[in-house]
Amino acid sequence: MIATGGHVAVVVGLAATLFAAAAFALAARGDDRGKAALGRRAMIAAFGLAALACIAMVTLLLTHDFSVRYVARNNATTTPPFYSVISLWAALEGSILFWTLLATGWAALVLHRYRDRAPTLMPWVGVTLALVAAFFFAVMAWPGDPFVRITPVGTEGNGPNALLQNHPFMGLHPPLLYLGYTGLAVPFAFGVAALVTRRTDEAWLVIVRRWTLVPWIFLTAGIVAGAWWSYAVLGWGGYWAWDPVENAALLPWLTATAFVHSSMVAERRGALRIWAHALVVATFVLTLVGTFLTRSGVVESVHSFTASAIGPWFAVAIVATLTGALVLLVWRLPDLRDTRPPGGTVSREAAFLFNNVLFLGITFAVLFGTLYPLIVDATSGERISVGAPWFNRVNAPIFVALLFLMGVGPALPWGGARWPTIRERFAFPSLASAALVIGGWAIGLREVAPLVALGLAAFVVTVMGDEVVRGAHARARSRGEDPPTAAWRLATRNRRRYGGYLVHTGVCVMAVAVAVSATLASDVTATLGPGESVRLGAYTVSYDSLVIEPLSDDPRVTETRAELTLSGPQSGSLAPALRDYPNSTTPIATPTVRTAIGEDLYVTLLAYDPANRSVTLHLFVNPLVVWIWVGGVIVALGAAFAVWPEPRRRPLPAAAGA
Amino acid sequence: MRSLALPIAAAALLALVAVAALQLVVPREPPTAAERAHTIAAELRCPDCQALSVAESRTAAAAAIRAEIAEQLAAGRSAAEIRQHFVARYGDWILLSPTDPLAWWLPALALLAGAALFGWWWIRGRRSSMTAPPRAITDADRRRVRDAAEALDD
Amino acid sequence: MSTRGGLLRWVAVPLLVVPVTWLLFTGLGRDPRDIPSPLVGKPLPAFAATTLEGEEFSSESLDGRPALVNVWASWCDPCVDEHPLLLAAARAYAGELSLVGIVYQDSPDGARGFLARYGDGGWPDLLDPSGRIAIDLGVTGPPETFFVDAAGIVRYRHVGPLTEEVLVEQLAVLGLDR
Repeated sequence: MIATGGHVAVVVGLAATLFAAAAFALAARGDDRGKAALGRRAMIAAFGLAALACIAMVTLLLTHDFSVRYVARNNATTTPPFYSVISLWAALEGSILFWTLLATGWAALVLHRYRDRAPTLMPWVGVTLALVAAFFFAVMAWPGDPFVRITPVGTEGNGPNALLQNHPFMGLHPPLLYLGYTGLAVPFAFGVAALVTRRTDEAWLVIVRRWTLVPWIFLTAGIVAGAWWSYAVLGWGGYWAWDPVENAALLPWLTATAFVHSSMVAERRGALRIWAHALVVATFVLTLVGTFLTRSGVVESVHSFTASAIGPWFAVAIVATLTGALVLLVWRLPDLRDTRPPGGTVSREAAFLFNNVLFLGITFAVLFGTLYPLIVDATSGERISVGAPWFNRVNAPIFVALLFLMGVGPALPWGGARWPTIRERFAFPSLASAALVIGGWAIGLREVAPLVALGLAAFVVTVMGDEVVRGAHARARSRGEDPPTAAWRLATRNRRRYGGYLVHTGVCVMAVAVAVSATLASDVTATLGPGESVRLGAYTVSYDSLVIEPLSDDPRVTETRAELTLSGPQSGSLAPALRDYPNSTTPIATPTVRTAIGEDLYVTLLAYDPANRSVTLHLFVNPLVVWIWVGGVIVALGAAFAVWPEPRRRPLPAAAGA
Repeated sequence: MRSLALPIAAAALLALVAVAALQLVVPREPPTAAERAHTIAAELRCPDCQALSVAESRTAAAAAIRAEIAEQLAAGRSAAEIRQHFVARYGDWILLSPTDPLAWWLPALALLAGAALFGWWWIRGRRSSMTAPPRAITDADRRRVRDAAEALDD
Repeated sequence: MSTRGGLLRWVAVPLLVVPVTWLLFTGLGRDPRDIPSPLVGKPLPAFAATTLEGEEFSSESLDGRPALVNVWASWCDPCVDEHPLLLAAARAYAGELSLVGIVYQDSPDGARGFLARYGDGGWPDLLDPSGRIAIDLGVTGPPETFFVDAAGIVRYRHVGPLTEEVLVEQLAVLGLDR
């Protein structure tokens, strides 16, 4: 009954979104606010229906209703309630349902908040968002029905994929990513609306600022969270493998970041407007492509599930969206010419343009690397691989150039700079950069990547620090405030700029952390009998005993734990384990990570012999890894600072007799 | 002081680059067998994982391949011969990096093309935009201003 | 705006849409796990190992007759699905077709348990504790089946569980008809 209710909610949701699209289209034609209101209410209803369908699915999962195929495949009577709930997004059909919930949520939110504003743009925003939501409802109504039943009904289900059940973080990583992906449909819708109505001035960009940055924060957090999960949970000791699905998440992030930068220029200088439109379209299309890659079975990954009929639907949707958006762009191209002459060769405009070229370079490289095996297979039948070494080698120089640009761009004036200005602004940062590189060399650092990262990070941070300090002093002098207060006041009155500084600082922290952890990590593998120990660097790990017992929260799972004692810069007990899930053929590794400011000690249990109680351990010392996550948090905080609503300025009372 | 800063920084970095280059040229100890094995293992793809190298993967298949690499090195084979040994059994797919030079040239060419396009666009933009005359304000413009003002009440 | 510039820009649409469409739809027809084996057309690599029964077995004993080399494991679910097909083939072509099993990343007890549960067809199953045979055959994961002709040349490598269709088709290639 609940399952039927869920399915009905989906079908009605499809009807509601199609109705909304029609209402908005008519509203746009006739400039009719009444029809726009109707469309808006239909979209809010669609959100309600998606919520009902989600509640239905969660109820089915919590009550272990195995008459529904999705529940039978992804749930078991022994699945703890928390994992039952998050199984909503554990597999294909459920994740599309969750996606639809978020997509209709964003749509309802933006349509409601802008119900009395931007009357020319909003109907077309409504049409676009309604059609996008309609597509996802349609996928659930036909090829990807989450509520489809099976007979005969089993008494037990498969349980969630062991890899997903192993760590509560699965409750965070997909929602963050999905909030990002679905939210990016909003700027896309505004971009489409701007093109259709020929309102290609800054209006849509001003509106879209927050609606881009907030999803961007979620997407960034989701990607960093995924890297953290890969590191702390998967047990291979790394955090990014250039896996096709990791790449699929990165691609829209890259174009979205380029869009954020382009929209700044487009808003303030009327330049790069074609870029802004093209990038926002690319971001949304890449979101769909990402979903296609991960869900259609075209590439193999821990995320891809059985190839299904959903693939062709997505393929068609991608082609249709791309064609429609491109036709619109090309048709309105004359409206998108720059309204002002671009700046000189060494100007902030030029820096932004070059920034776009670099971001597109990385996007192209990642796309190429992910798709090249497919292209080769389709044209010649040969199978080749493109793995981490290729991606690292191709992308590293571009990232280095980006890091450099991050320092140079914000310090260049709009319109152009002459040599004395350049010399003045970059003298001290260059010195700081050289000092840090030489300092690094002096303490024994010889690897290129960390030295370059250190030098560039110092450059970027010093440029920003210089601006902040100078601005604070200038304000302090003129207003009589002390410098820290002045700095804070300045920051809160220029949230975008200072938020941007914080984001760039976070990126620098991550860059140094990635460079160091990638090149200066050390590891050792050892097979130990009880009582034996192994050394890695300053650490000694002794093996005490092997414990094999069922998990307390889920007795179907058997955990084999190696109890170890650690001594060295960090000390205590460690217990890396292997968990045998009944629905998995290979045991799932559960590594232990001891994090300190300077380095992580990371231990995985590779294998064990129950007969002679010997264990094979893999130890890593990973320097500075925690700073990758800290850097990610700084980036998110910086962007949040930038979007934080400013207090409304009180209207000044009219002067008497004015 | 500021006028000297850049030259000093540039000189310091150049000196560092020179020292680094010297380090590269000076012969260093030949890599140990374990290091050579690790390098080869890092270039091979683990057959039953997603996107991991044999060096990183902890599956039994990867361990077997690492043992095979060690044996082949001990028998005196070169890195290229060992790679070929695995390609003969698994296919080109076992190499993590494509051997086809096109896979390396295409992205480089694309980036160069992108940079060239950017340069051409920039120069063309500077030349043409100086000659466009301003146009008269229309009612459509006034409507745009009104809408933009409403939107700014964000 | 000249007409030439006006029409030229529309080229961008098919220029981007056509390759994307082609890529998406060819990608859909592809099975990422179906990797062609470089051994096809070449002699089966020689191997020798101990069987589950404790006897020595060498691939030389396969010469002169078509053979099926099936790589499997007790923890492999699709192997359960294809096992009845192998049993049927062994019965149908007894005396004409040799079957050999390679046990992949498994314990002898586990493997014996599988055969006890799903049927022992009587053909030798070789233990490969070092994983060398799997490497020499270029195995990416069980189940995989190699179709070898009477001259010892590998004609086809099937990845994934065998289906009746593939079995009949490839056995015909080896010269065995229903």
